[in-house]
Amino acid sequence: MSSVATRTAPDVMPQVPNREDLNATWKYLEYGVDKIMVDLKNGIDMNLYMGVYTAVHNFCTSQKAVSNTATGTVIGGAHRGAHLLGEDLYQNLIHYLTGYLKNLVKLSRTHSDEALLSFYIREWDRYTTAAKYINHLFRYLNRHWVKREMDEGKKNIYDVYTLHLVQWRQTLFNEVNEKVMDAVLKMIEKQRNGETIEHNQIKRIVDSFVSLGLDESDSTKSTLEVYRFHFQRPFLEATKVFYQAESKQFVAENSIVEYMKKAETRLDEEEERVTMYLNADVNLLLKRTLHGALISDHSTILRDEFQILLDNDRVDDMERMYKLLARIPDGLDPLRTKFEAHVRKAGLDAVSKVAVEADKLEPKVYIDALLEIHTQYQGLVKTAFQDEPEFTRSLDNACREFVNRNPVCKSGSNKSPELLAKYADAVLRKGTNGAEESDLENTLNQIMTVFKYIEDKDVFQKFYSRMLARRLIHTTSSSDDAETSMISKLKEQCGYEYTNKLQRMFQDMQISKDLNSGYKEFEGKLVEPGDARPVDASYSILGTGFWPLNAPQTDFTPPAEIAKAYERFQTFYNQKHSGRKLTWLWQFCKGEVKANFCKNQKTPYTFQVSTYQMAILLLFNESSTNSYDDIVKATQLQGEVLDPALGIFVKAKIFNMSPEGDKPGPGKVFSLNTDFKSKKIRMNLNIAVKSEQKQEVEDTHKTIEEDRKLLMQSAIVRIMKARKKMKHTQLVSECINQIRIRFLPKIPDIKKCIDILLEKEYLERLDDDELGYLA
Amino acid sequence: MSSTDKVEQQTITLVSNDNIPSQVALKVAERSMLIKNMLEDIGESAIDSPIPIPNVNDQVLKKVLEWCEHHKDDPATTADDDSDSRKKTTDIEEWDQKFMQVDQEMLFEIILASNYLDIKPLLDVGCKTVANMIKGKSPEEIRKTFNITNDFTPEEEEQIRRENEWAEDR
Repeated sequence: MSSVATRTAPDVMPQVPNREDLNATWKYLEYGVDKIMVDLKNGIDMNLYMGVYTAVHNFCTSQKAVSNTATGTVIGGAHRGAHLLGEDLYQNLIHYLTGYLKNLVKLSRTHSDEALLSFYIREWDRYTTAAKYINHLFRYLNRHWVKREMDEGKKNIYDVYTLHLVQWRQTLFNEVNEKVMDAVLKMIEKQRNGETIEHNQIKRIVDSFVSLGLDESDSTKSTLEVYRFHFQRPFLEATKVFYQAESKQFVAENSIVEYMKKAETRLDEEEERVTMYLNADVNLLLKRTLHGALISDHSTILRDEFQILLDNDRVDDMERMYKLLARIPDGLDPLRTKFEAHVRKAGLDAVSKVAVEADKLEPKVYIDALLEIHTQYQGLVKTAFQDEPEFTRSLDNACREFVNRNPVCKSGSNKSPELLAKYADAVLRKGTNGAEESDLENTLNQIMTVFKYIEDKDVFQKFYSRMLARRLIHTTSSSDDAETSMISKLKEQCGYEYTNKLQRMFQDMQISKDLNSGYKEFEGKLVEPGDARPVDASYSILGTGFWPLNAPQTDFTPPAEIAKAYERFQTFYNQKHSGRKLTWLWQFCKGEVKANFCKNQKTPYTFQVSTYQMAILLLFNESSTNSYDDIVKATQLQGEVLDPALGIFVKAKIFNMSPEGDKPGPGKVFSLNTDFKSKKIRMNLNIAVKSEQKQEVEDTHKTIEEDRKLLMQSAIVRIMKARKKMKHTQLVSECINQIRIRFLPKIPDIKKCIDILLEKEYLERLDDDELGYLA
Repeated sequence: MSSTDKVEQQTITLVSNDNIPSQVALKVAERSMLIKNMLEDIGESAIDSPIPIPNVNDQVLKKVLEWCEHHKDDPATTADDDSDSRKKTTDIEEWDQKFMQVDQEMLFEIILASNYLDIKPLLDVGCKTVANMIKGKSPEEIRKTFNITNDFTPEEEEQIRRENEWAEDR
């Protein structure tokens, strides 16, 4: 085997050997193998190629070839079928390769660093190319002897190509891989420090290491074991050391924001490194290493910086921080907590600013303040935190907190729903701001945004339905479309039941329209030519129970002028729907009267008045002076309704009151002021009085309390009916679950309701703190 | 596609061990894995020079090439196609059956040559043909067919029969 040491092939080609002579055959084969291994670049002669192949074939098929190692098995082998020759060639080949590779190891010692890499790559290429040739030339051995050995489950027998790789790994790789890796790591460090390197070399090394991963149990498969152990492991370790040192120094010398930029760049670079020359298998582990050294190790100071970024609206930097911390497990939780607290504080501050004049607080100002904060931080979530659901949840938590518990809601959380409903009323009422259709829709969406956070949704419902009723009765809605759209939005959020009554109210108004035109026809037929022109009136039929309205609390005798008209309508309605009872809600009726009592006015004034006011005014057709008692007698109105109505006339100087004094009341006398003057021809005198409004709000709150009790009780009964038996505490929590979408019930209130139901014998106490349902 | 056409039309010269050259289309010759690998390894230069086939004589080589010519468009078998279907069936397609209607000596020459040249499908056909000649025959008939002298003692024969009882077709 002198040729290996000298690395030059003998010039004289041996003769094609006798097929039965092992030594001659191997000598011939070795010549060919060595020529391919050492001197392939000069080409290989076809005769030699065919000769080597044929020699392998001939040796393996020779009947009498006697191997020097397997003499015993030839005879024994007769039983397991034909004996296959080839082991001698295989062993000789191993011997040759070992010698060849040992020589290479020796040569490698003269190189280091990049020169070593070049050497390794050059020799690897030469070796693997030769291996492909030799594999072809020994194909006959592969097809028969190797296959048989492997089929019989022999270990450590490989096809000839794989054998080359195994030998390389055993003889050369184990000796040199550490030195090679040192050189590789040095190069990578150079590149990390900004130098240009020939990264293709590293890629070749990677490929070589990967090729050497052979699956011991199945040589057709490869594993990444060798690469992982000999390349990845030291590479990751070096990476960790490098970045730990670098980031430590950088943080000490620069701002956090600068560090984040640096870390970002480094992460991008490393990602590129993987695609450029590493095996993708390293990706996950490399990321973990980098994230540890670049992010986790500094996560505390990063998070401390977050508050400063928040305070200064540094959106880009927050985004950067988000992206960095999103890479490590649980990296974002502390940010979310800080973010939530920050938004809550911002919300509370905003409310405090507008809440100075607590009672006179304009709904719009309040809602705008809430919305501004929400809009601002929703924007931040979108841009800096990529709309991440958990951040959205933090935002929602914070908003829910400051919408329901803030300085305005000191007395309880139901100030927010009340103000929101009032704001909605202002938006939907005619003529308030003349907003464009699309603006209106936007505003409604904003209302829904706040609505989403309201806990006491039942309070909103109450106020909203009262104000909707008023808008419908007084036809002050700015647009039916907007009203419908709002109702459907509420329905979408809270379900059919929540908006059922609102929808019925809407329907009632529609039905009333049709009814009125039917009535016009009916009335037209009744009127005889001689009759006085009937009062021009329209009627709304409002279903009891759907509308948040009560029958008037005062007696009232409608004036004769309208009595006929409404009686006629009643007849008409009874004809159409017999058996229905009509209750007249006089307090919501209104009309117009023309006043021609004024001396200096040619065109008569038109007064828009309530029915009560109308009844009072009409009395003055008979006599221009009426005493308070006269008026009471004629109209039957009670003081609390009559007094404010009169008050408005006095204040508007339509009536003179004598004796003069602050308030209308018994003993006063009223006379028409014939000198009355006004710039406007039409005057609206049907003005709600402040105290009335306040009363209404209080009433509303009172009904809410009542309704809540009923809601809780019905929930309890529903639950118990289904479960029959339940623990007290379980029942309470189940009850909270069911009701939560409407409002947050207080536990003592639920307990009270349970007590009421026990008293009413819907429930009974059982042993062990259990409650039972009594059918 | 002219380059592929060129490859299709390319011919090479194979020289048998009795020194008779045969011109054959490249595609036909490449049914032999030996030749295919060799051309791949040595490259262009090999195509122009005559290729020695030291183990096959002209008569057999011609016969083998005839088979390759007929099967030149067969789909290439995958590296080591040992699928069960190929192993189990002794069916031979009609053309191959006719092709194999040769004297016994030629039949064995074809088998040896296809083994040497690494033409697996032809080797299969050859072995199947032999298998079919054995199938359904008694040991005595088989000996007669292949002109084998019985060198077993009766005792040995009995032992072998017992050992292989499980394989008997019952």
